Amino acid sequence: MLDSLPYELPELVTRAPLDTHTSKVLPEWVDWNGHMNVAFYVTAFDQASGAFMRNMGLGRRYVDGKLGMTFVLETHVTYDREMREGAPMRFATQLLARDAKKVHLFHEMYHGEQGYLAATNETIVMNIDYASRRSAPWPIPVAARLEELWQAHKDLPRPAKAGRVMALSQKK
Amino acid sequence: MVELDLSAPFDQHRATVLPEWIDWNGHMNVGFYVVAFDKATDTLCNQFGCSWEYTREKIGMTFVLEAHVTYDREVKEGDPLRITSQILDHDAKRLHCIHCMYHEAEGYLAATNELMMMHIDYETRRSAPWPEWAMERIDKLAAAHRNLPAPSQAGRLIGIKRKK
Repeated sequence: MLDSLPYELPELVTRAPLDTHTSKVLPEWVDWNGHMNVAFYVTAFDQASGAFMRNMGLGRRYVDGKLGMTFVLETHVTYDREMREGAPMRFATQLLARDAKKVHLFHEMYHGEQGYLAATNETIVMNIDYASRRSAPWPIPVAARLEELWQAHKDLPRPAKAGRVMALSQKK
Repeated sequence: MVELDLSAPFDQHRATVLPEWIDWNGHMNVGFYVVAFDKATDTLCNQFGCSWEYTREKIGMTFVLEAHVTYDREVKEGDPLRITSQILDHDAKRLHCIHCMYHEAEGYLAATNELMMMHIDYETRRSAPWPEWAMERIDKLAAAHRNLPAPSQAGRLIGIKRKK
């Protein structure tokens, strides 16, 4: 476990949910159906996870400094409404759970101007030791920041779309 | 339409990890696993005539409603991929399936992707029943897959397990 990180950490944002990440649908993300392709929703959400990790102090310098990485273990997406090329996106991110090595996140993607919910993404991200490429506990300063964020997020209501199991019988 | 392939699971799709699919961690990025899986979805949908030509001719489309991905092992640039597809369930408008991605040379499971897809009318962009000829083929594929055991990754609920 790393006791410290050899760079200055950004000021911690503890808003609940986190709302710092915004983005835009790129032309190369659009498929033959004329909307953002399913895979690039995952890319867009992965960037929102990246923003979450930067807030924790685990940005590019964490990887470039060969200290560690974060890997996604599992992800669940609901596609709620189409997004077209150039559409602005804003994200809301809630920390649902955390342990010594992992976080369980829930992202919501909204159309930045029209306000509608476009998609949700529930995801598990794990801390990885750079050298061994195996799981490792969060660096100590990161664990402390995670705890502070958890205190801000733990009383948020659980999102309705969290914890879904796929089946045809879920029909509404 | 292509000849119907009733092998179980459906096992036609092959791909190679492209250089632009690699991220700063030196492996295929999470988004591009889904790019690779989505192409396997096209190969599967081609079996019942609802792939590229179907949309190009402005007849209809298939939209994904929900997706679940497990990332089981890393794959690197240039790795050969084999993706199998299994139909789990279907109804008049929807198809529930799971893809398994393997490293084709080494044989290990790299990822799985469970999907709920819906048939869409081109004009209205709203859900519509599968065309009769597509439904016939989906029925046959589903029947061929019916006795396959469902992969353990199907029907998963995401969470951090409490340590004992």
